[in-house]
Amino acid sequence: MRLADLHRTTSFRLALLFLMLFGASSTALFGFLYWQTKNYSMHRMQDWLGSEQASFVPMDRAASTARLEAHRVADPGLERPFVLFDAEGHRLAGSQLALPDDLWSTLPTGRAFRFSIPRAGGGTLPYLGHAERLPTGEVLLIARDLRQSRDFGRLVVDSFLWAGLITALLGLGGAAYAGIDSVRRIDAVTQAIQRVVDGDFSGRLPVRGRSGDHARLVHVVNGMLGEIERLMQEVKGVCDNVAHDLRTPLTRLLAGLERTRRRAVTIDDYAAAMDEAILETKSLLATFSAMLRVSEVENGARRAGFDHVDLGQVVGDVVELYEPVAEEKGITLRLLREPRGAVMRGDPSLLFEAVVNLVDNALKFTPPGGRVTARAFARDAGIGVEVTDNGPGIPQHEREAVLRRFYRTEASRHTDGSGLGLALVAAVARLHGMTLTLTDAMPGCRVVMCTGDALPEPVREEALAEAPAR
Amino acid sequence: MTRVLVVEDDPQTADEIRCALGDHGFEVDSAANGREGLIKAVAEHYDALVIDRMLPGGLDGLGMLATLRSAGVESPVLILSALSAVEERVRGLRAGGDDYLTKPFDFIELTARLDVLLRRQSAPRRETVLRVGKLEMDLVTHTVRDGGRVIDLLPREYRLLEFLMRHPGQIVTRTMLFEEVWNYHYIEPTNVIDVHIGKLRKKIDAEGEEPMIQTIRGSGYMLRAPG
Repeated sequence: MRLADLHRTTSFRLALLFLMLFGASSTALFGFLYWQTKNYSMHRMQDWLGSEQASFVPMDRAASTARLEAHRVADPGLERPFVLFDAEGHRLAGSQLALPDDLWSTLPTGRAFRFSIPRAGGGTLPYLGHAERLPTGEVLLIARDLRQSRDFGRLVVDSFLWAGLITALLGLGGAAYAGIDSVRRIDAVTQAIQRVVDGDFSGRLPVRGRSGDHARLVHVVNGMLGEIERLMQEVKGVCDNVAHDLRTPLTRLLAGLERTRRRAVTIDDYAAAMDEAILETKSLLATFSAMLRVSEVENGARRAGFDHVDLGQVVGDVVELYEPVAEEKGITLRLLREPRGAVMRGDPSLLFEAVVNLVDNALKFTPPGGRVTARAFARDAGIGVEVTDNGPGIPQHEREAVLRRFYRTEASRHTDGSGLGLALVAAVARLHGMTLTLTDAMPGCRVVMCTGDALPEPVREEALAEAPAR
Repeated sequence: MTRVLVVEDDPQTADEIRCALGDHGFEVDSAANGREGLIKAVAEHYDALVIDRMLPGGLDGLGMLATLRSAGVESPVLILSALSAVEERVRGLRAGGDDYLTKPFDFIELTARLDVLLRRQSAPRRETVLRVGKLEMDLVTHTVRDGGRVIDLLPREYRLLEFLMRHPGQIVTRTMLFEEVWNYHYIEPTNVIDVHIGKLRKKIDAEGEEPMIQTIRGSGYMLRAPG
């Protein structure tokens, strides 16, 4: 963004708008005050003129002449001229004020009026006057110089203009500063985003400060970028694994078909090859469906179909389903019943599938003669499901990795399975607001899927002794 | 002969379904879109319909199904769909479908499910005793006998056997058994059901006799009277 675009930034426009609003309101305020003050001082002057006029009324001729003469001496600058004119407009007594002829001919009496007198050095002198015609035909004029009032007015207007100019300059400066600041921030953010768009997912937006709306936004966007980076890496991992997990059976399939084409002679040869191909295709489809299911669960749309689910019932059903399998392998599969019911909102089929995966895994990796225990539990901190075995367990460094799609531990690489089981469990747990925790059961593996952080106390041996295999 | 109408827009898929159903002994008619399917289904009588969920043109599978139902066509309908989400399934069944199958599927799964739908249509569940060969299940007292021998079954084994006995001589797939007996909807990935069937076999088969529950390779089971 260039500086020429300054006027397009929001902060600059906002600052300008406030400047204009402030200017308009202070102009209105000033105008009102100015008008009120002016009015007030005019009224004061008019009152004064009236009262001075009135003070002459009870005086006789000699007294008023004496007062006029005394005033003339006291006010040589004609700031407050008192003049007595005869009927023709000739000055009889008082200040040395000569009225122009045209003014004399239209002289209003009985009220205040404005007039001006030509000054000796050029220009005019403004006055406010009050004339009264006496019974004798003479005219008494009392006036007051308006220069002071005019100068005061000019001073006030000038200072308002200066103040306005300074305010406008400061305001514009401030707006420009805010605008440039926002241009800079947005430039920085734009560049950072551009880097991300160009493929550098480790890039983050620059953070300045911890509070403020901008910082908050940056924080959220950075969180989002982090999640995107995680997802991108996962997608890449998934693609690599898909390539491996699908390519291997596809290669086998193709090789088998080509071999049949070359060598098969009898119908039986062909039938055997077909059966092989069908089996291979089915296993490919199973992997493919498992992948789709993880995605389907992860997109969260299934929350719409949530219902009340009794986790105890689900775990009980899974244990019942797997009992014959455990029996066949010589493993003791136990259901631990707890008195407190564990009911939550969820998707029963998905929760069942998740527990099936946990129990299936436990049975797969526990040697004959081993023990697998499953239970649903409810604690004040939350509810969940726990599956514990006393098999070899998962090494510490692989515990996080096993939750990823297609990850297979070194030990499991040659067993059946798509490597998607725990990823699906993790997705189901996330969908239900549960966390999946893998810990060491010493020996063995303990998997807890629960809401909140309701990790229950480990299963005690005595409790196991009391809970016979069903 | 059982007549089935297949409404599917992809010609190759439609052909495959036609072949599979034909091999199974059905007389198959097909339609390539919702309008054509609707006209055929209303004009003629079919024992069952297989309708693709997504059809080109204005009328999709569910719209066609809803129209059919409101027109009074009561034949069982199996919906085929590429959408596997549970709510899609629920929507399909709510629109008047009797079963829902996600693509891609095994044809044996399709024919097995159609058989069950047709059987349900023709023989309502009114009987109190099921009989297959010497095997006899009393649905009131929940007892199972093999000739004179009383067979002691766990509740889940009882329900497995009941489902098999309701469909004697028909292929029943693992998924169908799982949905019916365990009541959870997902494709059971491992062969746990096999182990349950194995246990059930040991209980019902008398010594030295041909096993009654036969395994259909790669797909399911069939209960049949020996001999």
